Amino acid sequence: MGRGILRRPAESGANTPGGLPSRFPGFDVLAEVDHWDAATVGTVLSRLTQPPALRFFSPDEEAVGRALFDQILDQRAEPKIPILDMVDARLAEGQTDGWHYADLPEDGEAFKRSFAALDEDAVDAYGVRFASLPWYDQTDLVQTVQDRDGDWHGLAAGDIWDLWSRYACTAFYSHPWAWNEIGFGGPAYPRGYKNLGINALEPWEAADQSDQDPVGRGEEIEQARRRHAEARTRELRSKDPTGPDGVGDRLSSDK
Amino acid sequence: MSSLTHVRRRNSSAWLIPNDGTRTNHQLRRDMRRFDDTDEVDLVVVGCGAGGSVLMQRLARAGWRVVGFDAGPFWDPDDDWVSDEAGSHDLYWTDPRVTAGENPVVLGSNNSGRGVGGSMVHFAGYAPRLHPSDFSTYSNDGVGADWPISYRELAPYYQLIEEELPVAGEDWPWGEPHSYPHQAHPISGNGMVFQRGALELGIPVRVGPVAITNGRFGNRPHCIYRGFCLQGCKVNAKASPLITHVPDALAHGAEIRAKAMVSAVVVDDDSGRVTGVRYFQGGVERFQRAAMVAVCGYAIETPRLLLNSATKRWPQGLANDHDQVGRYVMVQGAPQAAGRFDDEIRMYKAPPPEVTTEAFYETDPTKPYQRGFSIQTVSPLPITWAEHVAAQGHWGPVLREYMRDYVHWATLGALCELLPLAENRVTLDEEADRYGLPVARFTYSYCDNDNQLIDAARQRQREILEAAGATEVIVIDRTAHLVGGARMSATPEAGVVDRDLRSWSIPNLYLVDGSVLPTQGSANPALTIMALAARAADRLITGQRGGITAQ
Ligand SMILES: Cc1cc2nc3c(=O)[nH]c(=O)nc-3n(C[C@H](O)[C@H](O)[C@H](O)COP(=O)(O)OP(=O)(O)OC[C@H]3O[C@@H](n4cnc5c(N)ncnc54)[C@H](O)[C@@H]3O)c2cc1C
Ligand code: SF4
Repeated sequence: MGRGILRRPAESGANTPGGLPSRFPGFDVLAEVDHWDAATVGTVLSRLTQPPALRFFSPDEEAVGRALFDQILDQRAEPKIPILDMVDARLAEGQTDGWHYADLPEDGEAFKRSFAALDEDAVDAYGVRFASLPWYDQTDLVQTVQDRDGDWHGLAAGDIWDLWSRYACTAFYSHPWAWNEIGFGGPAYPRGYKNLGINALEPWEAADQSDQDPVGRGEEIEQARRRHAEARTRELRSKDPTGPDGVGDRLSSDK
Repeated sequence: MSSLTHVRRRNSSAWLIPNDGTRTNHQLRRDMRRFDDTDEVDLVVVGCGAGGSVLMQRLARAGWRVVGFDAGPFWDPDDDWVSDEAGSHDLYWTDPRVTAGENPVVLGSNNSGRGVGGSMVHFAGYAPRLHPSDFSTYSNDGVGADWPISYRELAPYYQLIEEELPVAGEDWPWGEPHSYPHQAHPISGNGMVFQRGALELGIPVRVGPVAITNGRFGNRPHCIYRGFCLQGCKVNAKASPLITHVPDALAHGAEIRAKAMVSAVVVDDDSGRVTGVRYFQGGVERFQRAAMVAVCGYAIETPRLLLNSATKRWPQGLANDHDQVGRYVMVQGAPQAAGRFDDEIRMYKAPPPEVTTEAFYETDPTKPYQRGFSIQTVSPLPITWAEHVAAQGHWGPVLREYMRDYVHWATLGALCELLPLAENRVTLDEEADRYGLPVARFTYSYCDNDNQLIDAARQRQREILEAAGATEVIVIDRTAHLVGGARMSATPEAGVVDRDLRSWSIPNLYLVDGSVLPTQGSANPALTIMALAARAADRLITGQRGGITAQ
């Protein structure tokens, strides 16, 4: 079902966001499409097609939103999951969760206002719009919103953070490329799962190979932080070869 | 076997769905009886969920002419449901609502469904009973409220519904000890982790109780352990009224009017009686005459509908003579803890509901708080798992790194008995929905006892995961379920309905859903809601119909 059109040539292996090597070599959730029911195939594969033209966000909002969502999910290279497009489609179709916090407007309006606010902060701090900032300056600004308690441009900062991450994660982790990255078996109807239990795999699932790497779990996370920080230093250096003062302070931002 | 025959004789739903691999009896729906707006039917049921569907099925069987309304669709699991988290969005009540208070409750997918089958379409499937102590927390512990009925009175109905769903589980040692019609299911890595940690600490656990067939039941097949219970069961293995009570109701002449939003219960102020309901269907507002109305819209929509139905005689909302409508709504505190293991757990396999302990359910005199909590397995799929990770403050590369590790995590969830408080309530907001009806504003704040319970449950789950060998534990604060908002009471001043779920002030208005619970225990509520509906139906059938339709 849909296989021919939507699967990439075999030699490219399973797609992951950013084309990162997988911890589950040989596992491609999309190789299982023939075992899914038709309704599910339709829903999941539609995420691999060209997203519809934007209908909800203005070009200015689009620019902020794309950069912001890529920050939240650390999307730095193609192929990217089109988070902004997916959120735009939801809001255009009124596919919100319905409820909203008493101190926020409804979701669409809250997105628009918070994107404008982020742009304003970028201009205040750096003199340029958010989308034009280098990656690590964007990271810093996003971090200031997360760190904030209470009011931010007339919005409750914590609730805005919650809104951003809820929509961004919903889009990202609904995408089969993200399932490849995390080893999730995906839809399982009508086949079901037959091997339940600790370290029990279906024949078509692949074991996590990262245990072959002696690096412990905490260390892995630390490495992610360090990679992030080092790359930021490089980028700041490339802007100013002598290296700005206070780089160290600005590095400590993700936690 | 003999118990199966008994079930079939009183509720043949499981035998009325097809056995050819498809999930819906389209013939039954096509041939459904249809009433005219001008027919005065015996009963209109507003909301075809846990409570409404059981009531409808019972009364249709007893010969009542019943019409059930639901704002959402009449689902067909084959075409309408998917094995996919984001794709299941339409199962939820996503009309606008405002959530407020010091501890605003996350709504939508977290607690309310929309469509025939109600919230049970996407409920996890746990089907525990309340404990006998739940019916008198005020007398026993000085908190909460006493119910106007006892556990004894509800117990026979628990058993009937357990057979009709049917429920699978090990023999149950807590509350009133009982056993289940189906054997316990095999468990997955997540359940094994819970068992291992509990064993280590000497905490008793049991597999179940889940409303999921283990073996064939009528034409309902065995569960295939696909793990998408919260997205609607495409297999027909997990119970929901769509397959456990609606088919039998249709076969006995009930009509279901789907995609029909009831906008008001209509009362004649002179006689003080309900005359029918106003509803929107296809954009047209219509009026259905009825001799009796049962509102079964769940803990937010039921109070909202009563408040939106105000008349001159009931200016503060129907049946709201004592300012009780919308008050004492409860959610359960539901902190969840996840542990990281070097082994692969793959918690997405098998139904999320697997293993339970009710060892901390009752008031423990050595603790500073009253009442308790239960602990159960939960198994977040990727999007929900991302919420757990993001709740730790992680984003960017660290979020991605944690997510990549998904197969190594196991997750437990607690249900804490938060107390009924008058100020935790549903009121009408200034905002309106697309029908122009004011939306619900839901205000929630915890009391000290609530906070202490949540802390204790958080801590206990952490200990279990650590005892099972977790190398890292993360905890997230959530809430689950909803009950209350129009509680039953022994006197008219203290609640909205009496022990038979009849409203105190309007004799032919009933509320038959989760909104009538005075307290909630630490049990998931659906079984109790269905048992209450079955009991209310019995009361109506034995005594009162003459009084209602004889005019
Ligand atoms: C994610 C999730 C997991 C859960 N897990 C469990 C679990 O494991 N075990 C458990 O026991 N419980 C669980 N629950 C809770 C359980 O599903 C509910 O408590 C139960 O279904 C409530 O029953 P009810 O009859 O009060 O309302 P519902 O079943 O919600 O039915 C209400 C119906 O009324 C309709 N309605 C409302 N207003 C109107 C109107 N004005 N006009 C027309 N129709 C209307 C709605 O569309 C809905 O179909 C869970 C719930 C959720 C959301
Ligand atoms: S795990 Fe079983 S009960 Fe749950 S959705 Fe799948 S088949 Fe249905």
